[in-house]
Amino acid sequence: MPDATPAPSRTLLVTGASRGIGLETARRFLQNDPALTKVFTLARPSHDFDDAVAELRALARPGVEVVRYDVDLGDRAAVIDVVDRVAAEHGNVDLLVNNAGYTKPVPLQQVDFADFERTIAVNLYAPFTFVQELLRRGNRFELIVNIASTAGINGRSGWLTYSASKAAVINMSEVMRSELAIYGTRVACISPGRTATALRRVLAPDEDPATIMQPQDVAEVIEMLASPVGRFVDSANLVVRQ
Amino acid sequence: MYSLLLLNGGIGARVAAGRPKQLIKVRGLPILVYSLIAADAVAEIDQIVLNYPDGWRDAVEQVVADYAIRTPVTYVPAGDTRHDSVANMLSSATNDDVVIHESARPLVSAADFMTLLAAPGRNVSLMLEIPFTVAPVDPATRTVTGYLERSTLRNVQLPQKFAKADLEDAHRRAAADGLTFTEDATLVATSGHEVRFIDGSDRNIKVTTPTDVLLATFLLGGRPEEAWNA
Repeated sequence: MPDATPAPSRTLLVTGASRGIGLETARRFLQNDPALTKVFTLARPSHDFDDAVAELRALARPGVEVVRYDVDLGDRAAVIDVVDRVAAEHGNVDLLVNNAGYTKPVPLQQVDFADFERTIAVNLYAPFTFVQELLRRGNRFELIVNIASTAGINGRSGWLTYSASKAAVINMSEVMRSELAIYGTRVACISPGRTATALRRVLAPDEDPATIMQPQDVAEVIEMLASPVGRFVDSANLVVRQ
Repeated sequence: MYSLLLLNGGIGARVAAGRPKQLIKVRGLPILVYSLIAADAVAEIDQIVLNYPDGWRDAVEQVVADYAIRTPVTYVPAGDTRHDSVANMLSSATNDDVVIHESARPLVSAADFMTLLAAPGRNVSLMLEIPFTVAPVDPATRTVTGYLERSTLRNVQLPQKFAKADLEDAHRRAAADGLTFTEDATLVATSGHEVRFIDGSDRNIKVTTPTDVLLATFLLGGRPEEAWNA
């Protein structure tokens, strides 16, 4: 199978870009990838997102565009609308980082089914929809990175909906990796362990974030996957943990 | 620029029950997809003429749509024979040069097409040396009738490229003489036009039997060269 040749110019789409791993990823690519021409940042509207986009725009070299899309990834129609706008206004997405995640950790008996559906919509259906809808518009990806979790490798008591959604992301990534090889697209799945993000604070409110892995560590691994040496990383699910 | 005539009309009774073999899946993808994606990445191919078995047009169009094939596709019904199919597709080709390929060869790559297009001459086929001995026989009497020098024989592969005028001329002559050929390199050469060949690859198999499906699945599956030490 061929590898897609890295484009002389590259675009990056990051979901969940208002903070955590998504923001760090956008930051690192803006700072370190000389081929980068556009970053599409996606998140729900928030002050964090306002601040993030302002910071990223200040960081961008002249000629590099930071494009903001306010979107709730639990809303599939809105996701498809963003894909329409990206494809029509900006063209190809070369690097896709499906990072956004949602969780409301409760025991089985307390799972509200609508919340379970939202978890699956954000964590599984949204990454799938970005890939499928962009492919249907003739997009050719160089690299897709799906962020799963070590909680998707082993189910965790009290985290049923999140664990189930991330297990599905790991499996879906494996299928994508195999099916998209015909385009030379590489698909990587990263399962971070404990990372000091807002989502982690929901899962483990009593933990001291300073003692665990930081979002920039995970972002650095994503950057490595998009670098020339990343082509030699051949793992279906890359576990990143302290 | 080139028009690709992508043969996709075979019934393939040896492969699949009730389905044309081109809608057979290899590694979960319709076999047609592999050739479409490879050709779609070749800038010199700006038209794909794709034929379809009777009753399968919608399914074939759906595959082209689902995989967002960017090269414009012209749909043509399959003929009664492969020979007829090529003749029908040829009249829909808009370029002066054509490439012929068949979707039953899913291991073709964009690089294979590009190597063929770059080869000197307008009429060129991929061909493969024959690594085993073949013999001429009379099947009726079950007797061996002589000897064939295999160094002067080749296994004919696809893709091939032709000057459209030469291929049309060859088909006209064959029709006038009532002859049917199973492939076009020998048809065009027999009609008096020069046809060259370049070396093909034994990976570029034609998927005809269930065993071929297994072999193609293996060859397309990631890194078969590392199968024993992965």
